[in-house]
Amino acid sequence: MAEASSADIGQAAGRRGLPGRPGRLLSGRRRDTAVTAVVCLVPFLVLLAIFQYFAIGLMIRNSLYSYSLLNSNFSKFVGFANYTEIFHDHLALQSIGVTLLFALGVVVTQVPLGLGLALLLNMRRRGAPLLRSIVFVPVVTSVVVVTTMWTFIYAPSSGLANSTLHALHLPELKFLTTPHQALPALVIMTLWEEVGFSMMLFLAGLQSIPTEFEEAAAVDGAGPWSRFWKIVLPLLNRTTVLVVVVSTIFALQAFTQSYIMTQGGPDGSTNFMVYNIYTDAFNLGNPGYASALSVVLLIIIIIVSAIQMRALRGRR
Amino acid sequence: MSRAMVTVTGRGASPPRAGVALVRRTRSARAARSTGYWLISAALVVIFLAPFLWILASSFKSQAHIFADVSPLSVKTFIPTEPTMSNYSAAFTNEHVGRALINSLIVSVLQVALTVLLAVPAAYALTRLKFRLQGLMFGIILVTFMIPAEAVVIPLFQIVSDLHLSNTLYGVFMPFIASPFALFLLRQAFRDIPLDLDEAALIDGASHWKIMTRVIVPNVRPALATAALMTFLFSWNAFLWPLIVIQSQNNQLVQVAIAINTVPGELPNWGQVFSGAVIATLPVLILFIFLQRYFVRGIVASGIKG
Repeated sequence: MAEASSADIGQAAGRRGLPGRPGRLLSGRRRDTAVTAVVCLVPFLVLLAIFQYFAIGLMIRNSLYSYSLLNSNFSKFVGFANYTEIFHDHLALQSIGVTLLFALGVVVTQVPLGLGLALLLNMRRRGAPLLRSIVFVPVVTSVVVVTTMWTFIYAPSSGLANSTLHALHLPELKFLTTPHQALPALVIMTLWEEVGFSMMLFLAGLQSIPTEFEEAAAVDGAGPWSRFWKIVLPLLNRTTVLVVVVSTIFALQAFTQSYIMTQGGPDGSTNFMVYNIYTDAFNLGNPGYASALSVVLLIIIIIVSAIQMRALRGRR
Repeated sequence: MSRAMVTVTGRGASPPRAGVALVRRTRSARAARSTGYWLISAALVVIFLAPFLWILASSFKSQAHIFADVSPLSVKTFIPTEPTMSNYSAAFTNEHVGRALINSLIVSVLQVALTVLLAVPAAYALTRLKFRLQGLMFGIILVTFMIPAEAVVIPLFQIVSDLHLSNTLYGVFMPFIASPFALFLLRQAFRDIPLDLDEAALIDGASHWKIMTRVIVPNVRPALATAALMTFLFSWNAFLWPLIVIQSQNNQLVQVAIAINTVPGELPNWGQVFSGAVIATLPVLILFIFLQRYFVRGIVASGIKG
C-alpha cells in the first residue's frame, strides 16, 4: 500500500514536475534524467548485447555452418544439415532422452522431499535452524567437489556407499559401472546436493502463508492431513511451480557429473546433453553441429519451463 | 529435550475440557512424534555430514589407510588415524593448487566488484528514473535470465577468443558481469525505498550520483551483500566455462584443477583429490557459516519473486 502510494507520487511528479517549480527547471531535469539513464544503463546493456544476444545470434548462425575452431579459414554453409543430422545421430538422441529422464528423476524426488524437509524443519523445534543449515551445506558446495566426493563414495571397491551397504548387511551395488544403476546413482547424488535448495524455497513459501487459515481450519475440525492437502498445498502453488521449474532447468544443464564421474558412460547412460555438446565441439572438433545441438537444448529448456508453468499455474 | 516438549505442547490446539484419558493419549502421541522428529534429525545429520567428514578425515590419510579404514565401516572411517599433511603439501607442489587458488580469488573478487558496479546504476535507472521504454529495457534484460550459460558456451568461446581474452582471467568473468540476477535482486530492494526520499534530495539540489550513493546504496546494504555473495558463489564454483576458456596451467582455476585430478583414466591418488576438494570448499564454507542469512536470502530471492 505504501509502495503504491509512493509510486503514484513519483509518477505524478514525473509528469507534472514538482508543484511550484518553473517550467525551465523541469525541462533541465528531464534532460538530466535522460543523460543519467543512458550513463547508467549503457555499459550493462552493451555487455548484455555482446555476451547474450549476439552470442545467441552467433550460435544460431553457426548451427547452419560446418566450421572448425582451430582453422578459422574453413567455414562452409550447410543449411539445416546439422539439424537433420541429429535425427541420425544415436548418441545425440540418446543424450536428449537421458537428460530428460534425469530431469524427471530429479524433480519427482526433489519436490516431495524438499517439501517434507521444509514441513519438518519449519516447526519451532530444538535444533531445527542447525538442521536447516546442515541440509543446505551441499547447496553452497561446488558441483565439482560434490561430484568428486561421490565418485569415491560410489567407487565399486573401497567406496563409502558399498562399505555402508556392507555394514547394514545389504548386497553391494555396482553404481556407476553398470548402465541401469548409473543414472539413478546420479539422481540420488543430485538429490543430496540440491534438496536443501528446494527446502529453502518451500520454507520461504510456508512462512508467507498467514497462520490464520490453518488455525481457522483447525477450529472447524480439520485434521493435519486435510489441512495440508486443502490449505497448505494450494497456497504453496507458486512455490511448487518455482521449485519444479528451477530444478528441471538445473538438471537439463548437468555437465560436471558426466565429465568427472562417468564420461557419459556406461553405454551412454549418463551422456547428458551439455556433455555431448562439449565433446562434439571441443573433442570431436565439430562446433557447427554442437551449435545446432545447443539450439535444441535452449528450445527444450524454454518449452519445458513454459509447459510446467502453464500446467502448474492452471491447476487451481 | 524438555524445551522442545514445552514448545510442542504450547503449539498444539488441545481442547480446553478434555478428559484425562484423552490428555494421556495425546501426550503419548506427542512423545512418539517427538521421538520420530529426533530420529529423522539424527538420520539427516548422518546423511548430510558423513560424506564431508569422510573426505575431511581421508584427506589427512595415506592411500593405504583410506582403503583400510573405509571397510569395514567404523569410527576410524571418519577420523584421521595417524594424520599426515603429505596430501596437502603434494596438492600445493604437484597440482599447482596454490596458483589455482590465487587465480580463483582474483577472478571471483573482480567478478563480484564489477557485477555490483554495473548492476547498481542499472537498477537505479530502472527504478528511480522515469523514461520511455523503461519496461521494455527491463524485459530485454530479464529475458536473458532464462538462458543458461551452459547452452551458449560455444559462441561465447568464439566471442571471447575474438576479443583476445581467451586463456586470460578476464575472459573467465567478462561474459557474466552484466548479471541479470544481480540487477533483479537490487531492483527489488530499490523499489522498496520510498520515492519521497529522492524527491526530497532533488529539491535540496542533489545530483543523481549523490542520490544513488548517499540515499539508495546505504539503504540496500543487505541486498548488496546478497548480490555480492551469490555472485561470489557462482564465480567460485563455476566449472564448464573456466574449463573451456583457460588452457594453460598458470591460469587454471581451482575447480578445474581439482576436477582434473579426479577424471578417470589413471588411478587417482585419493588423499590428494580429497585435500584439493577440502581446499576448494573452505572459502565458501567459511563465508556460509558467517553470512548464512544472506545466502538464504539470495537463494529465496532468486525464485520467490520471479
